[in-house]
Amino acid sequence: MSTSSVIGISSTRWGKVLQNPSAGALLLVGVLVISMSIAFPTFPSAINAGNVANQMVFVLLLALGMTVVLITGGIDLSVGSIMGLSAGVGAYSINSGAPLILGLLAAVGAGAVLGLANGLMITRLGLPDFIATLAMLGIARGLLFLWTNGVPFIGYMLPEYYVISGLERPFGFITVPIIIAAVAVLAIIFVLRKTSFGRHAYGVGSNPHAALLSGVPVDRVKITAYVISGLMAGLTGMLMAGRTTTVAPTMGLGYEIAAIAAAIIGGAALTGGRGHALGAVLGALVLSITANAINIAGVSSTWQQVVTGSVLLLAVVFDRASALLRERSTRSAGRLAVT
Amino acid sequence: MIRSKASDQQPSRRNLLSSAGLGLGALAGASLLSACSTVTPTGGAAAPAGGAGSAGTNNPAYDSAIKSLVNGRTVQLGWTPPILSEMFNQMEKAAFGRMAELEQTYGINWKWERSAPTGNFDAVEQQVSIVRGWTARKFDAVLVCTGANFATMQDVYRQASSSGTRVFQFNQPVELYDEEKINTVSNIGYDNRWQSGYLAGTFIAKTLGGKGKIIQIMGPSGSDWSKARQIGFEKALRENPGLEVVGSADGGYLRDKGLNAAQDLLTRNRDINAIYGENEDMALGASQAVDAAGLKQWDGQQGVVIIGADGLLSGMESIAAGKLTATVDVGSVDQGRSFIDAVFRSVVLGETVAKTIEVPTRVVTKDNVAAAKAYIEGAMRPAKSY
Repeated sequence: MSTSSVIGISSTRWGKVLQNPSAGALLLVGVLVISMSIAFPTFPSAINAGNVANQMVFVLLLALGMTVVLITGGIDLSVGSIMGLSAGVGAYSINSGAPLILGLLAAVGAGAVLGLANGLMITRLGLPDFIATLAMLGIARGLLFLWTNGVPFIGYMLPEYYVISGLERPFGFITVPIIIAAVAVLAIIFVLRKTSFGRHAYGVGSNPHAALLSGVPVDRVKITAYVISGLMAGLTGMLMAGRTTTVAPTMGLGYEIAAIAAAIIGGAALTGGRGHALGAVLGALVLSITANAINIAGVSSTWQQVVTGSVLLLAVVFDRASALLRERSTRSAGRLAVT
Repeated sequence: MIRSKASDQQPSRRNLLSSAGLGLGALAGASLLSACSTVTPTGGAAAPAGGAGSAGTNNPAYDSAIKSLVNGRTVQLGWTPPILSEMFNQMEKAAFGRMAELEQTYGINWKWERSAPTGNFDAVEQQVSIVRGWTARKFDAVLVCTGANFATMQDVYRQASSSGTRVFQFNQPVELYDEEKINTVSNIGYDNRWQSGYLAGTFIAKTLGGKGKIIQIMGPSGSDWSKARQIGFEKALRENPGLEVVGSADGGYLRDKGLNAAQDLLTRNRDINAIYGENEDMALGASQAVDAAGLKQWDGQQGVVIIGADGLLSGMESIAAGKLTATVDVGSVDQGRSFIDAVFRSVVLGETVAKTIEVPTRVVTKDNVAAAKAYIEGAMRPAKSY
């Protein structure tokens, strides 16, 4: 459908840019980077860029899984807790003498299994996504507390783990977690665009009933989405365990909120059927740059939550505005076609 | 009473009161020695913390008189920390050690219930209902440490006391409130201002010769602990005008947030001399940031001084390994032993204990880490668990 003949803001070049669901987030990143660079000369440094990239990996991985779940019309409140429990499994395995690689796989695997449990609760028991994953949030966190008695796991840091978690940087700014995150982004792009799961996921999210009637295996799609989200949480926990060198039972507390915020900023919708992997990257970038800017600018900690909340609000308002623009241009294009 | 250097610097009125309170009576022998044994080795009849010792006083007549007063009584306790953590695990083990000693000497039976919120989203409400539940079940005494609003808790405590459950707080920053308005029998802890924040500030000043740039990783805004520690830290800054805070950020008492905050602050100020992490986890996160930035940590002559506060075994190990310059040990073991003593003497013996009981705290560095670590390790092996 061409919009070139439509008169008005939606036909200008700017209009087209604004119609992109990620325009708001992109604009925010731009404004933040430019204003911070003017005010603080150290902000645009290579060191700081490396810091931001390394800090955003964790939220990014969770946001990727969250985006997949949101696309299918679900929500995963348990990713922070799964991240903590998976990290505990990994640390415990290594401490009990498992080779490093097995310990790391155990962490990621634990995440996938917990994600599978989410998916089964939702599809087999018919629990609402919100309730099932809220229960998992409590169960996984509680298990970690009971298991550890509140005492963090320590002593599992083998020399290679420092490299894997990015604490040691043999290749400069490009750390192993950044490489892992990049691979994960490419994998999710591939899964969403090139596989039948990807096509079905959008269908299930937009209209589960219609999807079911047209023969889409809705339950399998939902379960797969939660397994992907759990797997991402396990991967995040594995990397975070290395970065912090201890697994405290509070690990990952509140990360589900950051993951949801990043996915939404990146253009995913709570109503399902929308979202993409690059959006999650953008969302994670917005959150990480905001946190970084707050720290560098020395904004008082009382204001931090206000600033982060406002950024989220701004991004979503932009998203709504661009959706309205899209709608208007589609409508006017339709009208032209009729007349 | 022998005090650690730490409390010598700021002996508060309440600290003196508290030692006088526990100092009366022969029983105090054991508790006083336990409170000081990081400084002076225990001797005589007092049992080393955590061993299968007894609380005996070398006064058989007194011991048997107390034993007949106790008369095999069973005391039901409820203990609720704000979260399960290494800190509170140390405290609980120390409490078990003291309970076992009292049980062995005086024949008292303890029933212990622990309940902690898991910290997800309704921690405060959970603790309120935990205490209400224990009150309804007619517990003899409950011990509380909470992040809940002051007024809310006073109401809960008032109801508990009026239905016969005695309330004690531990590790609670009561120094921020009017003592008369606190509806508890006693508050066993330390003064976050002068026994923690102030100590960290003066340690930095002393180590750096009174001059240097500091970055600060703070606790969550609005937290009473954070508020109180900051008062003390600021006093130290006022007394040492050569110290300058060049950046501060919120680390939420979490290691990963502390690490990120320190990393961000270091990009702007690479020429800093010290980092003050308001708790140990954030200080350890900052230590990783310092390493990652290629800066040198304090080696006794130069480098970045990093100090935290808590006194965890994992922190002690980091100090021994040169990954943390110092920490303020806020006396987890002594708090655990002291609150059991306070319960025993007020609930069981009917004595009056001080409203505020402060245990000694100390700055732990590489020089004295062996003693501080051994003290906690001893307490981690109580003769009996409850």
